Amino acid sequence: MNHAESPIGNKIKMVLVACTLILFAAGARAATTLENMQAAYNGESNAHARYLAFAGKADSEGYGQVASLFRAAARAEEIHAGNHAAVIRKMGATPAAKIEAPVVKSTRENLEAAIKGETYERDHMYPDFLSQARKDHNLAAIKSLNFAKTAEAEHAKLYSAALTQLDHLKGSQAGTYFVCPKCGFTTQELSFAKCPSCFTPKEKFEKIS
Amino acid sequence: MMHLPPIPAWESLHPLVIHFPIVLLLLSPLFLLIGAALSPAKGLPYRYAGLLILLLGTVSLFVAAATGEAAGELAERGGGVDAVLTAHENLASETRLLFVGLSVILLGMIALPRILHRQETRLSSTFMPLAYLVFYSVGILYLVNTAHAGGRLVHEFGVHAEMPASDGATSATATEAQEPAESRTD
Repeated sequence: MNHAESPIGNKIKMVLVACTLILFAAGARAATTLENMQAAYNGESNAHARYLAFAGKADSEGYGQVASLFRAAARAEEIHAGNHAAVIRKMGATPAAKIEAPVVKSTRENLEAAIKGETYERDHMYPDFLSQARKDHNLAAIKSLNFAKTAEAEHAKLYSAALTQLDHLKGSQAGTYFVCPKCGFTTQELSFAKCPSCFTPKEKFEKIS
Repeated sequence: MMHLPPIPAWESLHPLVIHFPIVLLLLSPLFLLIGAALSPAKGLPYRYAGLLILLLGTVSLFVAAATGEAAGELAERGGGVDAVLTAHENLASETRLLFVGLSVILLGMIALPRILHRQETRLSSTFMPLAYLVFYSVGILYLVNTAHAGGRLVHEFGVHAEMPASDGATSATATEAQEPAESRTD
């Protein structure tokens, strides 16, 4: 009689498989928010590099206002990356980003690409990451992801407005944008006393042009 | 066996502390009113109690506002939440300022006669506190409007603080609670 087919052997196998699955599931759940934070950190770091490249292109094509917008958004992405990195370190890991060479096209195409990226982050990536972070009760991750999601929504609006008015913005001078140093909220007008996202006083906002 | 619930993080303290300023700051004028109705000597302990409750309420207002800002950073934005959250935050700041002023005035009204060794009269024990309560009603107006905006956030929009995980039970998240109340517009 084969030992592997004995009832006791089968039970032991089943218990081992079950234990492995439970351990794997527990490990996977714990790693998910960390993996999400790493993905978000990578995304924000690349967005920062990409928008700076887009700003250079907008300047060379005579869209000064759009170049300023890209620079402001780049600063916001840098702040998000910094916030995400702090959360990753708090979770005991090291933030890692693979910076890819930005694909720079015309300013119109760059704006379209930026809108696509921001819309994806606002509607899919960050809501999914937030959902997981809330399940894990990771308050630091929730805060960092929430800040980024709110700012990306503003970026999408600003990029869409710039794309709509692009023909009128040809030959424009550099514009002024304000970026919250804590959460990266980006705006053209400081029409509030405190940041709508993180309540930082408007006096602390960074002026980007 | 019954245990103590988990200790919340700073960002989750808001629901725990928010009722202190509401109760204390609504209770203080009742003591002042009783103090005003009594003779200067008999009313004095009530004025002291009113002052003490007001000071405690004002301090708790600072804690409530600080924990509220921390909780607000975790709340998902979009749709009607933004406007109500901003209104709630602005009203809280104004209410805090008003009650600091009201605390200073009442402290002066009660402490000055003692510092200057002046005898309490009906003017200082009844009429001035009654006039003070008229100004106090402005503070109450701000307080209840701040509370109302906070109530709208929780009960109309489903925004609430992140609570620590408890054994064997997962609490509803802000996202989950927000979905039935209003569709996501972002």
